[in-house]
Amino acid sequence: MNTASQAGGAELALAGVGKRFQARDRVVTALEATTLTIENGEFVTLVGPSGCGKSTLLNIISGLTFASEGSVRLDGSTITGVNRRVGYITQQDNLFPWRTLRENVALPLELAGVPARERRGKADQWLARVGLDGFGDAFPYELSGGMRQRGNIIRTLIYEPSVILMDEPFGPLDAQTRIVLQDMLLSIWDSARSTIVFVTHDLTEAIALADRVLLMSARPGRIVRADRVNIPRPRNVFQIHEDPEFRRLYNEIWDELRVQVRNVDVAAH
Amino acid sequence: MSTSPPIEESAPAPMTRRRFDTESPWVVNAGRLILLIVLFALWEIGGGWLFDTFYFSKPSLIAKAFAHDIVDPAFYTDLATTGLELVLGYVIGGVSGIALGILLARWRFVGKICDPFLLALNSVPRIAVAPMLIVWFGIGIASKVFLAGTLVFFITFFNTLSGIRGVDKALCDVARVQGASEWQIFTKVMMPHASAWILTGLKMSLPFALVGVIIGEFLVSSQGLGYRLNFYSTQYNTAGAISMILIMMFLMMVLTAIADRVDARLLRWRPSDREAGGVVPKA
Repeated sequence: MNTASQAGGAELALAGVGKRFQARDRVVTALEATTLTIENGEFVTLVGPSGCGKSTLLNIISGLTFASEGSVRLDGSTITGVNRRVGYITQQDNLFPWRTLRENVALPLELAGVPARERRGKADQWLARVGLDGFGDAFPYELSGGMRQRGNIIRTLIYEPSVILMDEPFGPLDAQTRIVLQDMLLSIWDSARSTIVFVTHDLTEAIALADRVLLMSARPGRIVRADRVNIPRPRNVFQIHEDPEFRRLYNEIWDELRVQVRNVDVAAH
Repeated sequence: MSTSPPIEESAPAPMTRRRFDTESPWVVNAGRLILLIVLFALWEIGGGWLFDTFYFSKPSLIAKAFAHDIVDPAFYTDLATTGLELVLGYVIGGVSGIALGILLARWRFVGKICDPFLLALNSVPRIAVAPMLIVWFGIGIASKVFLAGTLVFFITFFNTLSGIRGVDKALCDVARVQGASEWQIFTKVMMPHASAWILTGLKMSLPFALVGVIIGEFLVSSQGLGYRLNFYSTQYNTAGAISMILIMMFLMMVLTAIADRVDARLLRWRPSDREAGGVVPKA
């Protein structure tokens, strides 16, 4: 396996990053000025009520949208647009329906001009690594949701970005598949050590995966709480709910999250 | 991939034993053959008794006319002329439709300006300008090629345009994040997405190409299947005319079958109706 060649992560520094946009007659704040540093190789999860600006934050870091204020720095250099050092895994698998699974996974290498034989070999290695060997020639419509999402994840991992943004990647999956993929993600990350920013609705998932859990408030979004997860790695995601540290954190964060979710509810009425 | 149907779709065992399997392609084809024979037999027997063969002819007379035509060298000149007009009209119309579709989809501003004009042009009944085509292009093959070409052009043009404009922005973003240049987004996301639309347009426009050619030949011509058909009908040679119509029908069926094959091969990434929405077990 080619894990030894992994490039590792990068330090991500947000300085006063905020986003506002004009909606008819008023200005809506999607994200309040946020300052935050994520260490090289750190796994951070972001939780918060829906519409709190989590996805906006990821879009800004990826370079797909621009911040209204502040700046994002990657190992000290400012991000000015999309770049291959930042990968982005979305909730929708967004596999290209006209490409086979292997061709989908190999696309980033193809875009970079890697020769066909090499990218095929690499794609097959990654497919095998997540239990998709034998499915390389299948088209996306022939695969289950869990299989497609694995494909979506490894097509970002294959080009080894230093920072990987994940926007509820396991959201549409059933509970069993989720846990299996969480376990898979942790073992891959353990060998690659890229920096991960992972957005989720699910507090259990947030704690099970993270070095640090960031809690965001209801709109306008801002980070209201940060907790370090002191559960030793490698972790067993299948049994993490039995860990006393997990329970303590879960209860503490949930008390705060409940308040934020209620705020959304009140605002909606 | 196995061709056996998924388990949940397998038919339950019949309660009573049927005499023949109505799902079997052999039985279905035999049924079709019988229907064909019955229809032709009725036509043959009814001719001269139920209806006047002067107007409606009958299979034996049509077969005779057909036999007469296929040994006539002039018939092959006509077939070749129509074939050439068809191919030229189809290719010129198709290629220019795809090219302009791509151009206007990429060049959004110009596309927006041109949209209503193209819509207006497409609303012109093509048959209405046919007499003018003779003024512009003469009575040779150019007028037929143009008539077929415009019909094909607009269908492929609008399909290409919608195919490129309708591409999912999320797919473009995926490629962009992975480092794709604007050109790569065009060649690796937009064009593959549009290809399904373009192929559909090319398939849909095939019958129109033949219609354009035949109508063109009706108007003024000295060669072609349409000319021959017109010639027979003005002479009240109904058997000859119907024989021509059947030949055109056969020609169209062959072309459509080829187009279907090409389509199925190039678009094999799309779920077929039976597989849609379900996971097909593989390996």
